Amino acid sequence: MSHLIQASDVIILAYFLALNTIYALLLVLSIPEIWEQTRLAEDEDFQRLMQSDALPPITILVPAYNESATIEASVTAILTLEYRTFEVVVVNDGSKDDTLERLRHAFDLYEVPRTYPETISTQALRGVYRSRTRTRLLVIDKENGGKADSLNAAINASRFPLVIAADADTLIEPDALLRLTRPFLLGRRIAAVGGTVRVANSCTVQDGRVTDARVPRRFLPGIQVVEYLRAFLFGRLGWNRLGGSLVISGAFGLFRKEYLIAVGGYHTTSVVEDLDLVVRLHRHLRREKVRYEIPFIPDPVAWTEVPETGLVLGRQRERWHRGLIAAMWEYKGMLFNPRYGRVGLLAVPFYTLGEMLAPVVEVLGYVITGLGAAFGVINMSFALLFVLVAWGYGMLLSLWAVVLEEVSFRRYRRPGDLARLLLYAVLETLGYRQRTVWWRLRAFFTLRTQRRVWGEMTRKGFATS
Amino acid sequence: MTSRQFLLIVAIAQGMLFVALVILIILNRWIRLRRRAKVNPRQIELDAVMQRWALGQASQDEVLRALARLPVPIAIDALVTWSARVASERWQELSRGLESQWWARAVRANSRSARWWKRLDCARFLSVAATPRDIGRVRQLLRDPHPAVELAAATTLERVDSPVLVAAALDQLPFLGPTVQAYYASVLKRARPAVLRHLQHLFRRQGDPRLPRIVEFAGRLEEPVLREPFTTLATHPEAEVRTQVARALGKFPHAESVAALGFLVQDEAWPVRAQAARSLGMIADPSTLPALREALRDTEWWVRLRAALALTRFGAGGRNALLEAEVGPHAEARDMAGLVLGLSLQALSEYAA
Repeated sequence: MSHLIQASDVIILAYFLALNTIYALLLVLSIPEIWEQTRLAEDEDFQRLMQSDALPPITILVPAYNESATIEASVTAILTLEYRTFEVVVVNDGSKDDTLERLRHAFDLYEVPRTYPETISTQALRGVYRSRTRTRLLVIDKENGGKADSLNAAINASRFPLVIAADADTLIEPDALLRLTRPFLLGRRIAAVGGTVRVANSCTVQDGRVTDARVPRRFLPGIQVVEYLRAFLFGRLGWNRLGGSLVISGAFGLFRKEYLIAVGGYHTTSVVEDLDLVVRLHRHLRREKVRYEIPFIPDPVAWTEVPETGLVLGRQRERWHRGLIAAMWEYKGMLFNPRYGRVGLLAVPFYTLGEMLAPVVEVLGYVITGLGAAFGVINMSFALLFVLVAWGYGMLLSLWAVVLEEVSFRRYRRPGDLARLLLYAVLETLGYRQRTVWWRLRAFFTLRTQRRVWGEMTRKGFATS
Repeated sequence: MTSRQFLLIVAIAQGMLFVALVILIILNRWIRLRRRAKVNPRQIELDAVMQRWALGQASQDEVLRALARLPVPIAIDALVTWSARVASERWQELSRGLESQWWARAVRANSRSARWWKRLDCARFLSVAATPRDIGRVRQLLRDPHPAVELAAATTLERVDSPVLVAAALDQLPFLGPTVQAYYASVLKRARPAVLRHLQHLFRRQGDPRLPRIVEFAGRLEEPVLREPFTTLATHPEAEVRTQVARALGKFPHAESVAALGFLVQDEAWPVRAQAARSLGMIADPSTLPALREALRDTEWWVRLRAALALTRFGAGGRNALLEAEVGPHAEARDMAGLVLGLSLQALSEYAA
C-alpha cells in the first residue's frame, strides 16, 4: 500500500512538473507576443490603414434563443460597429419568448424570399426578413435546433467571405472588427482569428457599449475577470507561438467562410461548438496541406455577462469540460500524430493530458495525500509544502495575467479595481479553484447521460447608465 | 539537496516573485502617470503650434522645435495626424525642414535596423515626410520582411511621385494577400500616370502568372486608357484573367466592351459567366437582353442569380423578360425569376452592391 501511494505521488509530482513547465513556457512566449501585438494595436497609422476600403467585408452571425430582454440593444450595438462593409444575420432559433416580435418591432422587418442555397443543412426555416430601417440587417426565423444549427443557418445566408460568430448577449467594442482584421492586412494566411472576451458584470453599459470597465465586487464574477485575463492574455497568446490555439471563443471569433463550409459548419451535437470547430479546422487544413494560421489577437474586445451564482457557473464549467472530453475523444487520432504538426504534437496532447485530465489528477493528488497522511506513508509537512507550492504557482500565473493587462491594455483604470484584481488573483487558488475542479470532474460522470445537454443559463442583463 | 529543501527554495522564490510582480504593477502605473503628466502639455503645445503654422501664423522653426521636444514615436504620430490636415505644398516644405533635424536623421537611419519596430517607425515617418532623397530607403522598406513595415512604406506612394517606387510596388502586388493587394491598389491609384505606363507594359506579358492580379488591380482604376487592353484579354486562356476582365469591363459602357461581354457570358467557366452577366447589367445595353435571357437558364445558380439581377437594371424590357421566365417552361429560370421579382428595391440594391 505504501509503495503504491509513494509511486502515485511520484507520478502526480511528475505530472505537476510537466504541466507547469508548459504553463511557464506559455508565460514566457506571451511576453514577445503581447509586446508585438500592443505595438501594432497602438500604431495610429495602422488604425488609419485599417479604415481603408481594402478591408474584406464581414458577416456577423448572431444566434438568438429567448433573448427578448437584450436582443434589441445587442443588435443595435452590433449594427453601429465601426467597419466599412458588414452585414448582420440574426437567427431566431425558435425562441419561446417574443424575440422575433421584438426584432420585428424594433427594426421594422418585412418578409423576403430566400435567395441563397442551403449549403449546410439546418432545421426548417420559417421566414427570412429584412429591415426597412437597417439595410445591413437580415433576420432568419427557424425551428429550434440549437446554437450550432443557428450558426449554420446564418452561414448559409451570409454573403461575405469572412464571418464572425457573436452571441446575442455579447457586447462587441466599436472598433473590434477593425482590429480583428489586422492579420489580414498583414498579409497572413488566416483561417480564423480570435479576440479577447472580457467580463461585463458591474461595468457601465450605455447604448450597448461598455463605457466604464469595472472589476465586480462580488466574489464569483470578480474572480472570473482574473480567470478570463489568464485564459486570454497569456494562455492563448502563448499558443500563437506554438502553432495556434485549439479554442476561439464562440462569443467572439472570425472565420474564413470557405473553410467553415469545407468542414461542414458547426457540429450540432457538440456542447462546445467553438472548440469542436477549431479542432476540425486544424484537422481539415493540415490534411489538405493548406498553409494557414489561427492566431489570437488580444486588442479586439467583446464583453460578456458571466454567471453570478455557483449553480449556474457550475453548470457552465461542467458543460465546457464535457465538450472538451467529447472533442478530445472524437479527435483522438490527432493525439501525438506528426501528420498534424505542432497541433498534433503539442496542442492536442496539452488539451487532452493537461486540460482534460487535470481535475482527475488534482483530485487524485488530494485523495492520495490524505491517504498517505492517514497511513503515515508521507510526511505531512512535506505534503503541505507541496500543496503550498502548487497553489503559489497558480497565484503567480494569475498575477502574471494581471501584469500583462497592466502593461498592455489597462482597461481597469481605478486603483480600487486594480486592488480587487490583485486580491482575486490571490484568492482564486484558495477554494474557488477546488470548486472548479469538482465541476469539471462531474463532467466525466455526466458525459454519457447528458452529452448534448447545455443546462439552463440565467442572465441578469447589463446594467445601463 | 532533499526534495523538501527543493520545495522550500521554490516556495521562497515564488514568494519573492509574487512581491516583485506586485511592485512591478504599481511601479508601471506610477511611471505611466508621470510620463503622461510630462508629455501631455508638450503634445498640446505642438497641436497649437501646428494649427497656427497651418494658418500661416507661426514659423516652421517653431513647429520643428515643438516636434523635437516630444518622444520620437509621439512626434511621428503627430506628423501622421497633421499630414492629412495641411496643404500638400506646405507639408512638403516641412518635410524638407525635417531633413536637417537630428531626431529625423536618427529615424531615417533606422531603415536598416535589425529591430522591426524601429524600421516601422522609419517607414511611418517616411510615409508622411519622405523627400526624393528617400526613394532608395522606401524601396528597401517596401521589401521588408515584416508586413507592417512594408504596408507603412507603401503609404509613401500617396505622397511621393516616383516611377521607381510605383514599379517596385506593382511588381510586388501579385504576391501579396488579397487584402494587402486591395490596400496597395488604393494607394497606387493616386500615382495614376506612372501606374498606367507600367500597367500597359505588364499587360503585354500574356504568359505572366501575375496577370490575373494585375488585371484585377487595373480594373479598380476605372481608367478609360485601359479599356482596349482589357478587351484584348477577353480571350486569354486563363479563366481567372477572363473573370477579372469581365469584372473590369462593366465599368466601361462602350460597344467593344458589350461585344466582349457578350462573348464572355457564354464562357465555359461559370465565374466568368456570372461576372459577365453582372457587368452586362451595369452597362444595361438593350441589345444584350437576349444574352441575359439565355444566362437566366444557365446550369449554375450564381449565373442565374447574376443574370436575373442584371435584368432588373434594364427597366421595362428586363422586367418583362423576368415575368416571361416566371411563367416559362424552364423550371430553374422560373424559380430564379420568382425570387428576384419578389425582392424589394432595397434588397435589390443590396444584392447589386
